Amino acid sequence: MKLLCVDSEPVYREIVSLCAEKENVLVKSVATYEEAVAAFIDYAPDIVTLDVVIKGGSGFNLVKTFKEISGTRFVPMIFLASHTSDSVMDKCFQSGADDFIPKPFNEVLFNIRLKTHMRHIELMKEMYRKNKALTYIQTVIDREHKMAHQVLSHIQNRSESNSDHVAITRLSAASFNGDLALVKTRSDGARLVFVGDFTGHGLPASIGALPVMQAFFDAADDLVGVGELAAQINRILLSILPDYMFCAGYLILITANGNITYWGGGMPNALILRQSGVIDDLRSDHMPLGVLSAYEFEDDLKSDALENGDTLVIVSDGVLELKNHYNNMLGNDQVRTFVSNAYAEKDLMEAQKIIEKKLTDYLGESEQLDDITLVALRNTH
Amino acid sequence: MSISVTVNDSTNTATITIVGSFDFSLFNEFRDAYINLDKTHNHYIIDMSMVEYLDSAALGMLLSMRNTIESESSITLAGANDFIKNILMISRFDKRFGIQ
Repeated sequence: MKLLCVDSEPVYREIVSLCAEKENVLVKSVATYEEAVAAFIDYAPDIVTLDVVIKGGSGFNLVKTFKEISGTRFVPMIFLASHTSDSVMDKCFQSGADDFIPKPFNEVLFNIRLKTHMRHIELMKEMYRKNKALTYIQTVIDREHKMAHQVLSHIQNRSESNSDHVAITRLSAASFNGDLALVKTRSDGARLVFVGDFTGHGLPASIGALPVMQAFFDAADDLVGVGELAAQINRILLSILPDYMFCAGYLILITANGNITYWGGGMPNALILRQSGVIDDLRSDHMPLGVLSAYEFEDDLKSDALENGDTLVIVSDGVLELKNHYNNMLGNDQVRTFVSNAYAEKDLMEAQKIIEKKLTDYLGESEQLDDITLVALRNTH
Repeated sequence: MSISVTVNDSTNTATITIVGSFDFSLFNEFRDAYINLDKTHNHYIIDMSMVEYLDSAALGMLLSMRNTIESESSITLAGANDFIKNILMISRFDKRFGIQ
């Protein structure tokens, strides 16, 4: 710890030095304004004591200059002044002083104040160190999030693009959570669909997504059944991911004539908007993928049918938990209303645009916290 | 503290109470809460009556606890509000935990 003592009276320079050295503080003493500025730059003290009256200038201006030079570095400035009127004291603090001790002062008192300021310096130094470390970590995390985005975008690119039959909307949040939506039409004309939601954020979530993607496209090529694929993905995730991570999801197969078989775990209900306007629910009744052992895993499937003009809509919980300006969640009922209204539109791409607009309108000015995934499928043969 | 632990020796029960948001920020603290106990208890109760929000990371933390604690011991998730209970049921946590 280094102290700079600016005082025109030799006796006070002596006293300050003696007191400070008792606390193991190095002291440099100067007598004039000019010397003080030069010493502040060269010596870079941690703490300063100074008088109001200094040869070659005023203590008020000196404090202002010191504060300018030190910038964001915290250097306490203590006035040791013979002028002790309220207005002088006020001017000292106005100039940026951190403390004021009237001369003559008691040595014990001076040392107590000095120690207090030293403690503050240590606290500030600690804060700067932690702040620096946090800034570094923040940069790393930002980069990892970007990387995870890139990995997932690469996966998504292999999925079928939007058409009269398929519409996928993904709105990534700033802090990104690993939603995955894959659609692939098989050689037999049946369409295989996976909509998943990984626990966790950023890079960890995308690590699970890579092998899931591989298994999904292999299964689409090899005409593997939904139950078998579910069991396979479960096994992969169980072996790759730590036990606090899993993936909620739907695996759905829609044959060319509209028969649906599906496996769902840990997902909100999916909806089928019938041409008549009625909404039916598909229920996910299993634990998410990557939780149960291969032995315990349940691969039983449910079935339904997609008639001509029906729309199957799968949403991630990011949609249901979307919060508006008033911090209200969108919730089940409103999602159903949105689906009813939007997908009454005959053109699927148009319908998707309508529901996207409804979601962004609902969100308004507030920040989207979670990823949003919304997949719509139609059977128009 | 958002997490507190009380032990009842006569019923051999450890109760972990969580207050506020049950999310990733409690990852280490929650783990410490059941790992640092002197012995294995027959019953564990996670008191969620003061939990306002729970995310998927918290579900993962509960599953991790279930894996760590011997399977003979029961874990009950108690007092969750309707919103949280719904999240627990969607993920079928009733298969691994008692839900009250």
